Amino acid sequence: MRAGAFARSAGRAVAQIFCPLAFGTLVATVIASAQTTTAQSTAAQTPPAQTPPAQGATAQSGSPAPPAAQPIQAPVPPEPPLMPPTPNVSAAAESIYATARPGLLQIRTLVEAAGRQSSIGSGFLVSPDGLAVTNYHVVSQYALEPKTYRLEYARPDGSQGALKLLAIDVANDVAIVQLDGTELPHLEFDPAALEDKSPRGERLYAMGNPLDLGFTIVEGTYNGFVEKSYNPRVHFTGAINPGMSGGPAVTAAGKVAGINVAKRLDGELVSFLVPASKASALFERAKTEPPLDLAHVRDEIDRQLITWQGAFYHALGEQGFKDTTLGPYQAPESAAPWFNCWARTNADETPRPRALLDSTSCNSQSSLYIAEDIETGRAELWHAYVRSTDLNPFQFAAFVSTYYGGAGSIRPWSRKRLTQPECHEDFIQRNESDKGGPVMRAVWCARAYRDFAGIYDVAITTVTQDRDKEALVSRLAMKGVSYDNAVALAQRFVRELAWAK
Amino acid sequence: MGEVMIQTTPVAEPAIWVEVLSRLHHDVAARYRFVDVPITVGRAYDNDVVVDDPHVAAHHLRITRGENGNLIAEDLGSLNGLYVDRARKPTPEVTLDAGHELSIGGTVLRVRTAAHEVPAETPMLRGLPYWPSAILCIVGVFALAGLDLWLSETQEPKAIRYFTPLLILTVAIVVWTTVWSVLTRVFTGRPRFGLHFLIVAIGLLGYSIYSQLAEVGAFAMSWTALANSSYVVAWLFLGGIVFSHLLVVNRARRPLKVIVALILVAAGIAMQSLKQSEYRSTYGQPALLSRLEPPALRLVSPQQESAFFTDSEAVRAKLDKARTEEPTGGGPPGDDDDE
Repeated sequence: MRAGAFARSAGRAVAQIFCPLAFGTLVATVIASAQTTTAQSTAAQTPPAQTPPAQGATAQSGSPAPPAAQPIQAPVPPEPPLMPPTPNVSAAAESIYATARPGLLQIRTLVEAAGRQSSIGSGFLVSPDGLAVTNYHVVSQYALEPKTYRLEYARPDGSQGALKLLAIDVANDVAIVQLDGTELPHLEFDPAALEDKSPRGERLYAMGNPLDLGFTIVEGTYNGFVEKSYNPRVHFTGAINPGMSGGPAVTAAGKVAGINVAKRLDGELVSFLVPASKASALFERAKTEPPLDLAHVRDEIDRQLITWQGAFYHALGEQGFKDTTLGPYQAPESAAPWFNCWARTNADETPRPRALLDSTSCNSQSSLYIAEDIETGRAELWHAYVRSTDLNPFQFAAFVSTYYGGAGSIRPWSRKRLTQPECHEDFIQRNESDKGGPVMRAVWCARAYRDFAGIYDVAITTVTQDRDKEALVSRLAMKGVSYDNAVALAQRFVRELAWAK
Repeated sequence: MGEVMIQTTPVAEPAIWVEVLSRLHHDVAARYRFVDVPITVGRAYDNDVVVDDPHVAAHHLRITRGENGNLIAEDLGSLNGLYVDRARKPTPEVTLDAGHELSIGGTVLRVRTAAHEVPAETPMLRGLPYWPSAILCIVGVFALAGLDLWLSETQEPKAIRYFTPLLILTVAIVVWTTVWSVLTRVFTGRPRFGLHFLIVAIGLLGYSIYSQLAEVGAFAMSWTALANSSYVVAWLFLGGIVFSHLLVVNRARRPLKVIVALILVAAGIAMQSLKQSEYRSTYGQPALLSRLEPPALRLVSPQQESAFFTDSEAVRAKLDKARTEEPTGGGPPGDDDDE
């Protein structure tokens, strides 16, 4: 359900995502940072000879680690291969890594005042004059607070320097950055991927700097586009880890087919890439358009969000609603393919519930990451058909109230990012022109984004008021929507709530 | 005979009572009977009324009879003077015709004659006059509280859910009544537990009925503010209860007691409003109808759906105004770290 964003500061991300590994990995992180500094000091003398990190961090440190460290780190012993390794595959990975490596970047966000990194990610050069692709979420801290943070890159040869942010695309999670230099080694986009025509099952190699351990290459498979995602995402079966965000996933020919972006925390090796076409489009734009005005990044994000939600809600409207029957009621569900729906019932609970609740919840797979505490872009439709088995009308009304009152709390409250919710509630009835339909209690709650004008989080909840011991509770929640789109969709939603025919 | 009558005039005059009053409530602390004037008051032992007040002169006050037979109090040249009733300036001499209270130093005196008329006796209520009504009210309170608990019962019914709140309520009533009884006993010598109990019982019953009506009314009339503001009424009831208790303790100084009750009410309402608004702004909790009722209780006719959305549009202006204002303070602890 949760797609993890990858550029988080290592310790935190580790604690969050890899609970069972937290201790060991934390140790590894500490060792790794020590290793990074040694790598930097030796870098000047022997740039190209940097050995790529192989397995345990202790093994990479180069200096003889005290034996006591061995058990803690527990480096993975080399497993005897079941079959003799196919020589050309491993040779392919080796040569791909060797070719792509000089074009890779580690992208660090540093706290300006402390001069230390607060988050890390990856990136790759796409032009000889220093333009590089990464994820928007890798540079989001800097983009939103350019006075507090600064961006830096580190190349595999150990060279470092400042990065300039040129362009962002929040909907596709891509950013273009630039470093000073000429005739730099760079990667090229895969022509098939640019036309979104990569063959399913194609072997891809994801590269980046996971958990600040050093540059690595990960072999995996291209599995087409994620079917239920509104924002196009490539499903990549391979191990992407925090810190690899923004790194390239290349074909056997060494051409970029996608950009590492996220993975599912509830699965194994289920990772996602931004399609190469989206990165390439932003790259082309960045070449011609003036660079992003750092003083007005929020306005730019605002513009992109407005455009994005316009398209999203237009598409949602085009797809229309399909009606489901819940008891005596008829409830709308989106016909759009990018909704993930789940049903829940309390019928099997012990002790036996005194009112039965069957709910369906549909979430749009259209989440947008803007900042650590701003995730927006989702729409949710929720219906619950509730009927009393054992409750009198007052008790039943009290039971339903628990779902009604929850309408206001759209998300955990962060008043730095959102205003207080403002609500409007009343009994409503469908207009006389369209006949029928139950009287409902409705509550409309909305909050505005402080950073982005014209963008709101809105939810409308309705409870039917025509029966003593039966009710349909419905909710439509929209995040990152313009007010007009919210009203229009909510109005359509309410009109679809009716008695079953 | 006429001459004899004139000579015995003092005998015919009614007896004079000099009463020393308590400083706080002006209850009678000591009472002296005299048949003759002059009467002197002071700290010295050659006075008729001796008071142990360091602010009183050795010979402070003399009560004599004027030419027309009225009693007159005169200051004998004391340092602290003679004050009549609540006067701010001392008087050298005052005619005692209207039951004045005289302050000398920190001592309060009242002079009355045997001719002073007392009010008619108040009927004595034998037995436990307040108990039946008080118990009836409390039963009402418990019934309403129990009913409320039962009607909001959505899980498996458990007796403990009813007993705990009812037990807490009982203990609170007993403690509250006892405290007031003890206070009354201290000041008036009688605890008057029954009366205090009745006051609490009536107050609680009144509020219980109001809060239930407000809850149902908020739904029926679609008027959320009615239910959300019932705490204001709760404080008003509490103010009324406290005022009544204070009256039972002592009937004097009513304006002061009204002020005390009003301050309590105002402070209570202000505190709770502040707390509520801070809670709302910290946790972003909107003020919504907290409890729905069965549909049959709805009295207002529903809004047209299009009108509802027109009203929802009005919310937008408030939000657009709020987004430009800086958030006050931080959110709840750890809020910024939410992920």
